[in-house]
Amino acid sequence: MELDKPSLFSIVKKQLAWLARRQEVLAQNIANSDTPGYKARDLKALKFKDLVRNQSSSLRMAATVDSHLTGGLKRAVEFKVETNRLPYETSPDGNSVILEEQMAKISETGISYRLTTELYKKHLSMLRMAIGRR
Amino acid sequence: MDDLIKTMRISGAGMRAQGQRLRVISQNIANANSLPQDPGDNPYRRKVITFRNVLDRSLGLELVRAGKARPDKSEFGKRYEPSHPASDADGYVLTPNVNPLIEMTDMREAQRSYEANLSVIKASKAMLNQTIDLLR
Repeated sequence: MELDKPSLFSIVKKQLAWLARRQEVLAQNIANSDTPGYKARDLKALKFKDLVRNQSSSLRMAATVDSHLTGGLKRAVEFKVETNRLPYETSPDGNSVILEEQMAKISETGISYRLTTELYKKHLSMLRMAIGRR
Repeated sequence: MDDLIKTMRISGAGMRAQGQRLRVISQNIANANSLPQDPGDNPYRRKVITFRNVLDRSLGLELVRAGKARPDKSEFGKRYEPSHPASDADGYVLTPNVNPLIEMTDMREAQRSYEANLSVIKASKAMLNQTIDLLR
């Protein structure tokens, strides 16, 4: 087990953070389903590439003098919130939240969250098995 | 995990805003027959409430807030009732600009939005519980 490689744990952690943040954005949409002029938002979809990118393994430039800049590492991804540009419909007061669509997304997020936590548990039990405990 | 707790705050604010809206709607319905006392007086004027998304600095979150209930500017209705104490010279009484049908529709909408917020809280709670279950 190489702990410096992107293990399942770090992927699970990132995925859970993304899902929790998405839940917050969706809750914001639903709370504002009757606010005039409010545009529905969503998080930018999480790509597999983002999940496996290991920040510790990226190379840094060598600094031989104090005044050298090493070039910063990419910051921990702050998930990007996007406004839905092409909503299915917009009501006369300028609100583009469709409650049904948002509810569907909420349950989708809930199911993914469950899947991710179950994956974590499974991985943990596999590790336990490897160290000889049941 | 912090995000999920924020979610509950947001949905809670949404539910409170819908509750305030329902209060205004019930006021409108209760006053649907509030006629003036004397000739020249105005009857009950319908009130409307609108929502805004404002930043709550202490929480660092945008929460939905109900604005003040403001009067609906539409015209009052008129009813021919010469015996009424508030009737004008032609025998007409002004009636409130409340349409019970519109109020009922608004009420249903408020109810639906309230339920939607409630189910978001339920979903977030289930997610939080799953996170806690990881400790077992």
